[in-house]
Amino acid sequence: MIDIRNLSKSFGNVQAVRDVTFAAPDGAVTGLLGANGAGKTTTLRMLSGLMKPDAGSLLVDGIDVCAQPLAAQARMGMLPDARGIYPRLTPREHIHYFGQLQGLAGERLVASTAALIEKLGLQEIADRRAEGFSQGERTKVALARALVHNPRNVILDEPTNGLDIMSTRATRELIRRLRSEGCCVVFSSHIMQEVSALCDRIVVIAQGAVVAAGTPGELRAQTGCDSLEDAFVKLAGLADDTEEFSS
Amino acid sequence: MSVPWQRTWVVFRKEVMDGFRDRRSLYSILVSALLSPLIMAVMFTTMAERQRSAEELRLPVAGQAFAPAFVDWLRQQSGVTVVEAPGNPEAAVRQGDEDVVLIIGREFAEKFARSLPAPVQLVGDVTRDTARPKVQRARALVSAYSSQMGSLRLMARGVSPAVATAVRLEAIEVSSAQQRAARILSFLPLLLVMAAFVGTLQIASDSTAGERERGSLEPLLLNPVPRSALIAGKWLAAACSGALSVVCSILLCTIVLSRIPLHELGGRFHLDAASYALMAAVVLPLVFFSSAIVIFVAMLARSYKEAQTYLGMLLSLPLLPGALAPLFPLAGKPWLAVFPVVGQYALMEDLLGGKPPAAFWYLVAALALIGSAVLLLALTTRQLRREATIFGRG
Repeated sequence: MIDIRNLSKSFGNVQAVRDVTFAAPDGAVTGLLGANGAGKTTTLRMLSGLMKPDAGSLLVDGIDVCAQPLAAQARMGMLPDARGIYPRLTPREHIHYFGQLQGLAGERLVASTAALIEKLGLQEIADRRAEGFSQGERTKVALARALVHNPRNVILDEPTNGLDIMSTRATRELIRRLRSEGCCVVFSSHIMQEVSALCDRIVVIAQGAVVAAGTPGELRAQTGCDSLEDAFVKLAGLADDTEEFSS
Repeated sequence: MSVPWQRTWVVFRKEVMDGFRDRRSLYSILVSALLSPLIMAVMFTTMAERQRSAEELRLPVAGQAFAPAFVDWLRQQSGVTVVEAPGNPEAAVRQGDEDVVLIIGREFAEKFARSLPAPVQLVGDVTRDTARPKVQRARALVSAYSSQMGSLRLMARGVSPAVATAVRLEAIEVSSAQQRAARILSFLPLLLVMAAFVGTLQIASDSTAGERERGSLEPLLLNPVPRSALIAGKWLAAACSGALSVVCSILLCTIVLSRIPLHELGGRFHLDAASYALMAAVVLPLVFFSSAIVIFVAMLARSYKEAQTYLGMLLSLPLLPGALAPLFPLAGKPWLAVFPVVGQYALMEDLLGGKPPAAFWYLVAALALIGSAVLLLALTTRQLRREATIFGRG
């Protein structure tokens, strides 16, 4: 369960996130939809505890991220925008390393690592050094190490960015599985089809502000559009208009 | 309390494993470990070579027929081999074919017989360091012969040779072979300090600036681990690699120095196992400081490239005390131990000078190094909380 209220953040004169409020319930997939530079990544960085908001609050399972970042981080599994991996370590070693940093050890660590390698189809490369891995393989490793501690809240920043069709399908499959396991899944994307195919709830962000939120059906009804794409374009345009009004 | 330390151990193990799979870090350890023994070996061998070449003088003499008695006398001197001189002595010396050539003048016999100064020329090149000892030896030989003959002539005339010596000069050379060797050995502290810095460089920079460059810093920081524990793990891994390079360096130095013809520099000179152990006690704690300052500097930089530039400059830091030594002599000032790097030079200088400092100062030096390391790490941890450090200044 993730609860974000009145979140704001500026860099110099640029207000990247303004008064963002939304909640992501357990057992559902919440999509953050927005164009590049709309403020999705900044919002997720604040959720991760690595960036301090100027105002507002972030609660993960009721834990205040700003007050207790480590406790909140322990309840989250996050695939950030940066998904660099260590070229001289194997996927299994990556997963182990992050598992140990999450406090896992012994039997639990080994079992959790093996399960993730299987779930993400990493068996063939599990013990090969990551040097020269494809984008898709790297993302899978980054995903696996983020999920090693079986987090109840999973946050994915553009998880299918740069992936081929097979990897994209595998990732979507994983997201559905996490939902069926009762996790709270939040993922950001600028790809309409992906959001409409996966999300139970959509939060549309434009120029740092939430311009609409609801189920795909509610969004279509709200804008009077048949397709979600049209609804999105309309909502993004709406943000432009309000911008003009306010300035 | 125990949990952050367990996480530090996790980070330490990962960085050591990662570092030892990295060719570059292995090279940097290898190079820094080999550098000092190799430089030592080369310097000592050339010094011994030069010394030996002066004692065993191969002396080309032109016009031997004009002074057979003089040439015979030369042949009887220990270590001297008289050979035929080349056709053009000056050209031969100028081109470096010969280090020194003695030319006996045509009128030598005639003037000698009349008790007039008999002409002899010595051809040498003062700019050639390797030739200088030979020229000096040849000059000494000629004046020895001259004064011997002079004395004989005075005695033949019933005059005591002592009369002709108004002043007797006795040169007392205070620089012993040990001291000359010590001059070479004075490079040893510099080389060991460099080993402590270079050995930590790769792991310390790759696990910080490199971590950020490849985009793995943000994922790492998402784990519920205090940043101080992460930094401490990286620090200890880098210090470990620095320690390895210092230990290898000292071990190789003992091997090299034991095989070097030290007896030719004067047999009294030797460094025993205890001095090597004390040297290690001075240099090893330095790796805690060097790894901390490398991590600090690497984290300040905006990119890996920038970090490398800064670290290049950082490596000139250990050269400074050596360069300033003529202005600020370090010997006999063990209290300098409170300053990192400078203190290590001061302690090692006393150690090599045969006046090992009191155990107390080793402790002070180690504490000063660890204290400044902790301060640098605290600053790095603070730096790691800044968003600009984690996400870049985009």
